[in-house]
Amino acid sequence: MFTVKTKTLCVMGIILLAALAAVSLFVGKYPLSIKELLSGNELQRRVFWTLRASRTYVGAIGGFALGTAGFVYQTVFRNPLAAPDVIGVSSGASAGAAAGILFLSEAGAVTVSSFAGALLAVVVVLGLSALDRSGKSNTIVLAGIAVHALAQTILMCLKLTADPERQLASIEYWIMGSLNGINSYSIGGNILLCLLCLGILFPLHRQIILLSGEEGESRMLGVNVGSLRLFVLLTATLAVSSVVSLTGLISFIGLLAPHGARLLTKDNRQGTMLLSGLLGGSLLIGADILARSVAASELPVSIFTSLLGAPFLILLIYRSAKKL
Amino acid sequence: MSFFTATNISAGYDGKPIVERLSFFVDDGCLFGILGANGSGKTTLLKAVCGILPHAGSCVLEGEMLEKMSPRKLSRCCSYIPQRSGISIDISVLDVVLMGFNPWLGLLEHPSAAMKEEGHRALGLVGLEGKEENNYLTLSEGQKQLCILARTLCGKAKLLLLDEPESALDFRFRFRMLEILQIWLSDSGKAALVTLHDPYLALNYCDRLLLLSEGKILGTICPKTDSLDQMEKLLDQIYGKISLSRLTDRSGREHIVMLKE
Repeated sequence: MFTVKTKTLCVMGIILLAALAAVSLFVGKYPLSIKELLSGNELQRRVFWTLRASRTYVGAIGGFALGTAGFVYQTVFRNPLAAPDVIGVSSGASAGAAAGILFLSEAGAVTVSSFAGALLAVVVVLGLSALDRSGKSNTIVLAGIAVHALAQTILMCLKLTADPERQLASIEYWIMGSLNGINSYSIGGNILLCLLCLGILFPLHRQIILLSGEEGESRMLGVNVGSLRLFVLLTATLAVSSVVSLTGLISFIGLLAPHGARLLTKDNRQGTMLLSGLLGGSLLIGADILARSVAASELPVSIFTSLLGAPFLILLIYRSAKKL
Repeated sequence: MSFFTATNISAGYDGKPIVERLSFFVDDGCLFGILGANGSGKTTLLKAVCGILPHAGSCVLEGEMLEKMSPRKLSRCCSYIPQRSGISIDISVLDVVLMGFNPWLGLLEHPSAAMKEEGHRALGLVGLEGKEENNYLTLSEGQKQLCILARTLCGKAKLLLLDEPESALDFRFRFRMLEILQIWLSDSGKAALVTLHDPYLALNYCDRLLLLSEGKILGTICPKTDSLDQMEKLLDQIYGKISLSRLTDRSGREHIVMLKE
């Protein structure tokens, strides 16, 4: 289901992602050179494999997952503004991370607690929406808003009790998102889970499109709307949670990447879903490169996803408006 | 035993019944029209029959209860065309038509080349050839209805439920739509339930008509055999004072026309 144009765009997307990934491998505080790496400098190799490589592929896969999940949310909710926030994932993850920062001290605890927070939020949202037997997608959005508000309240309470010098600062920093601190020891399970979810979502593309119709209409086309929607949303959300619990909140990619892809291809085929992922990955890696190179200290990555993303979106809107 | 039988169908929204205890039957090959004023329960009845709305009573198609079928089997037997399709994303016309094959495809399967071929043919039948790659959302409302009709024909259902399929169509395509349905019905083992606004179309194309008023059945008429007086009496109750007459066009075909007095 790829048109020639979409194929070209996807190839360009892959090249862009690969180029940015290559740059990302060699940008950072500790300068690396290909020559030194090849000559077997032990320190250089360690930095390359444990820090740069893992950071780069978390950026690529994470951005890819956020972009793809955004595509899924927008299609299934039939709402161009739908994003992981809609069903409370992000705020659940934030509250979980804050709890982890306050009450746990083991390494990697924040990843686990934010993942648990995100998952809890999603389970509550989908559980609440299952109470409404008519199973409208609006119910999920409403339940999501309620859980989002609740998680925000919990987050505020946690912030109030936090020690303002250290804990509060790390909560705020987490919420702004960063790929800093990612190394080959901390990512294992999350990335596997994320790849697994993506591997499930892509073959289901035709079903995801069928979910974009009206409830009754989809059902009469033989779609088991209730359980399929639940499954697809849960899978997309797991992918997002597994990324966000590693990196902290990353704004805008889930919203921007799918819109960018659709403005380029003008359809919703599987190729467009792939392109959403590629744009998401490129955006996150691009933002991360800037986050660690423009200032002496690392900056939160969300600043740059918005900074890069907003003009890109405006450019695409301008371009498609001009064509009319 | 008739092809399709509905017994004591009651349905409504939020506990308020819109249609109450409706019973009727439809024969094999019948184009069965449902006439009624706005709000008389036509759409509710169709939605109840295909199980989108919870309802009391039962629908039996060829001896099998629709209510007891699995969703997948139901979607193979019975196809529903809403007044407006809810498709709201950019998608090609052909892809919309291919959705009709979903009841016959596995979860991860894609439509085969033969199915695509059939999709093209269905689009040709409804007069949308050459528009396969167009964006569905850029079609006119009438073309959208034709596209959805093509999708329905691909689904191979035995019972079609069409909710005002002619509402957005121009003069020419209103007849074309009903002619397509008549051709489709000419194979055995099929029937269609159609709600219509236009009494002319109902009286001239349908085999039987069910007249609804405020959720109850006023009566049924067979336009081909019933006398004009009989039909007038029933139609008066929906439309106010009307008169029917038979006219012959230049080709010698007889039409029934309805005039408001």
